[in-house]
Amino acid sequence: MNKTIMEKSKKSRKRGYFLYDFGKITAVIPCLLWYRMKRLYASPEAKKKIKGGAILISNHSGNVDPIAIMTAVWYRRHHFIATKELFEGKLKRCMFEIFHCIEIDRDNVDMNTFRTIVDHLKGGKLVSMFPEGHMTHTEEVQKFKSGMVLMAFTAKKPIVPMYIKKRKSLWQRQVVVLGEPIDPADMLGKMPSLADMYKVAAYLHEQERALKAIADQH
Amino acid sequence: MSVKLSRQEIFEKLQDIMIAINEDDREKIESATESTRLVEDIGLASVGMLYLVIVLEESFQIKFDDVGTATFDTVGKVIDYIEAKLS
Repeated sequence: MNKTIMEKSKKSRKRGYFLYDFGKITAVIPCLLWYRMKRLYASPEAKKKIKGGAILISNHSGNVDPIAIMTAVWYRRHHFIATKELFEGKLKRCMFEIFHCIEIDRDNVDMNTFRTIVDHLKGGKLVSMFPEGHMTHTEEVQKFKSGMVLMAFTAKKPIVPMYIKKRKSLWQRQVVVLGEPIDPADMLGKMPSLADMYKVAAYLHEQERALKAIADQH
Repeated sequence: MSVKLSRQEIFEKLQDIMIAINEDDREKIESATESTRLVEDIGLASVGMLYLVIVLEESFQIKFDDVGTATFDTVGKVIDYIEAKLS
């Protein structure tokens, strides 16, 4: 199974960004009208554009969160980490590959997938993911898994937290809050323990909750 | 790298690495045998397994190919893999 994912991933990497960009340009106007995005920032530092390799993390309460993320951080190409179950079916696989999603087997995360993610980060790409690990269908931010910390630490790249407020009705503007980039390498030593990594994941979870508090005021 | 290490030496080095990355379970790791289970007995969850592999790659100067978080269930399996790679 892992080998299959690796082969498919290699094939996906060879794919260019033409269809990705075409899809993005086509979706700009509908997305702007649909979301009427209201971006908030935790600090002036958070207002700076995300440059170079980074992991963008967000809460995951609905199906369209990836589109909200792509609309909020419109100036970057996103490489979403998606579970292999989402790739099932030819049409879905094709769509996920066009958008350069990285397929991951949650039950058996293999080193090749991990290396692909780290290579993306080192190559200056933006990897977007939902550290809660699944769709929550709630406004509460659930506990974060710590895989993102290991990825960012290995690639020596920052993690940017983002909160997407659940819209109560379609007439409401979509509120998103962006936080400051956090570099786990600055918080961890040369060879940190797993407990240290869990602490960083917990710290990021706290930051996400702080972003939620900002979003709740609007 | 063609450094010849005995199975016992690999085991001891592996123990040291596991203690370094999972200090909280030091006692369990010190009393581990080759049949000790990595997830159930030592508590290395998926992130722990990936981290262990990264550190092992650096320490033994070998590359773990086609390895996933569910590939190794016991300490002995990890030693088998490293032994095969070093030979």
